[in-house]
Amino acid sequence: MDFDLSSDQQLLMTSFESLLEAYRALPVGSHGYTLYSKELQGELAASGFLDVAAAEGFGPLEAALLAEEAATSPYGAELAASALIGPLLDGAEGPIAVAWGLGEPVRYLPQARTVCIIQGDEVLVASPETGAIREVDTVGAYPMGALEKAPSNAATLDAKTSAAVRCRALIAIAAEAAGLMRAALEHAVQYVKDRQQFGQSLGAFQAIQHRLAENAQIVRAARSLAFRAAWRDDECSAASACLYAQNAMRKLIHDCHQFSGAMGLTLEFPLHLWTYRLKLLQGEAGGRAGQAALVASNLWGAS
Amino acid sequence: MEFGWTPEQKALRQKVAAFLDAHLPEDWESIASQSPGSPAVTEFSKQFCPKLAEAGLLASHWPEEFGGAGASAWDHFIVGEMLWEAGEPRGPQYYNVNWIGPAIMQYGTAEQQEQHLGRMLKGDVIWCQGFSEPSAGSDLAALRTRAEREGESYVVNGQKIWTSYARLAEFCFLLARTGAGKKEISVFLIPMDRKGITVRPIDSVVGDGDLHEVFLDDVEVLESERLGQEGLGWEVVRYALNFERVGIPRYALALRTLNRTVAELQGSASFGEGAQIAAASAHSACEAARILVYEAVGQRMKSSPDTGVASIARLSVVRAENQVADFVLDWTPQLFVGDEQPMVATHHKRAISAGIAGGAAEIQLNLIARNVLGLGA
Repeated sequence: MDFDLSSDQQLLMTSFESLLEAYRALPVGSHGYTLYSKELQGELAASGFLDVAAAEGFGPLEAALLAEEAATSPYGAELAASALIGPLLDGAEGPIAVAWGLGEPVRYLPQARTVCIIQGDEVLVASPETGAIREVDTVGAYPMGALEKAPSNAATLDAKTSAAVRCRALIAIAAEAAGLMRAALEHAVQYVKDRQQFGQSLGAFQAIQHRLAENAQIVRAARSLAFRAAWRDDECSAASACLYAQNAMRKLIHDCHQFSGAMGLTLEFPLHLWTYRLKLLQGEAGGRAGQAALVASNLWGAS
Repeated sequence: MEFGWTPEQKALRQKVAAFLDAHLPEDWESIASQSPGSPAVTEFSKQFCPKLAEAGLLASHWPEEFGGAGASAWDHFIVGEMLWEAGEPRGPQYYNVNWIGPAIMQYGTAEQQEQHLGRMLKGDVIWCQGFSEPSAGSDLAALRTRAEREGESYVVNGQKIWTSYARLAEFCFLLARTGAGKKEISVFLIPMDRKGITVRPIDSVVGDGDLHEVFLDDVEVLESERLGQEGLGWEVVRYALNFERVGIPRYALALRTLNRTVAELQGSASFGEGAQIAAASAHSACEAARILVYEAVGQRMKSSPDTGVASIARLSVVRAENQVADFVLDWTPQLFVGDEQPMVATHHKRAISAGIAGGAAEIQLNLIARNVLGLGA
């Protein structure tokens, strides 16, 4: 067991962070509810980061490390599913969208070259056809679309690959949620350091310190569980990490908004980009009940 | 970054499991359901620890020159985790091997090492920790117990409180003030049968032997019983407690309790969706605590400075412990109230002290706010 990055992992993260550097600052002017960057998406594809899990000596853990980091940028671009699920699907082109059913809004579907449709134990893979996607207007900060029916080119994966895709999809949610929570907390912490009230910074009040400290615990735990799930690459760990995040994010979202005051209600203040993405992840993949059922069946044989 | 156990570590887990199978008696749970400091568990530990020592599992992480096997501290952590899960058959003796012994190795004289380490390795000596006082709890540096020099010895006057295991302990790792400055504190290794020491038990939720008052009235302590230089007690304590960065691995017994409770629900066909969400959530909280504790242990193994993960780990342990305790109350209140499964009620009794024993959880929140988030002074 070693919690420090290996030298190869360190090199990977350093070069990934330098790519992300240009996507840390917000655009000037209002960006609306959703902030998607086609340029970042293009750079991710061109740089080879989406294929990291297939590289020699790397695997799902490295993909999760990237997914967690990518989620801290205010700009949305699909990486988690491409990097984690892509290697399981021969020749599938990213961005990859994961649909947990038909007719429901799906993150990054309008941009996706590949869509995985998860229907119970069965997973279909398809290339979305032009015109088949309904764009969904959302406050959720991800670009969203819905598929009313499976594309005609959809192919059903075999049982083993289907199970692996479902597992990686949960790891992708867990890693992405961990990064979103980290970014939201960092932003709220910076705000309470800067904001002066009653003659001192908000962050000087112990009532606020303690609640933010509780959130620091949540962020750290969510990260570690997501990374361990990626390393183990098994359904129980993946569902457990996802469940932890889906449980914990509600407190974190509430507290980060609470301490950002009315500023946090504006679209120019970027907090919503992370918290409203989190809100979409909270109920994804069946939400807490869905993850709990998987954990309970794996650990305790519950049906 | 990787999360696997080595083959040697896996083998050690098997060895400990086999040892516990062989050496915990049929009625162990009724013994273990009493407090770790109770007469029953203390007595049991004196039978159990020598066998543990013989199997090379009591203090294998101690350096060879002090009678250990120089094993990795990970090995010792694995043993500690599994023993806590089993109900802590070492009783109070985990103190000895975890941090009192190592502090004596680092700061003790040859005579002190000779006198104390052998007994600890044998596994039949009980120590207590004379830290907290009526006006010095979280603010330990406010302690008032004084050791006044008189020639070659000291005279100690004061009072300790909340002292676990004190009634049955042979020795105390005592903090006393030896100067006027707030941190002019020294450590003394004193026999508990010394004239002037009075121990009064305090009835506690955890059980008999858990809490005591210790009164020190004109207790004569020899200079040769001081550990380390005079006034350097704070350094000694910091060194010793660095071995205890993460405290007790409480998630281990919590998970065992959770598994039992789930089995009970399944037995009565009442493990439905609501219970599954609550159980899986408590399980994920325990796993979060486990992974963060491992991370803090890993940092200590590498002698890396604490980046705050130890405080985060401690907080996670408290949260997980209480989430399991609440799960039991919510879904199987009969196990809490009744006596059918004594270890379930025992877990609950221990859980209430999780955020207090070994340092208040709110102090950890202060530390996280300051050291991790950069908030406050």
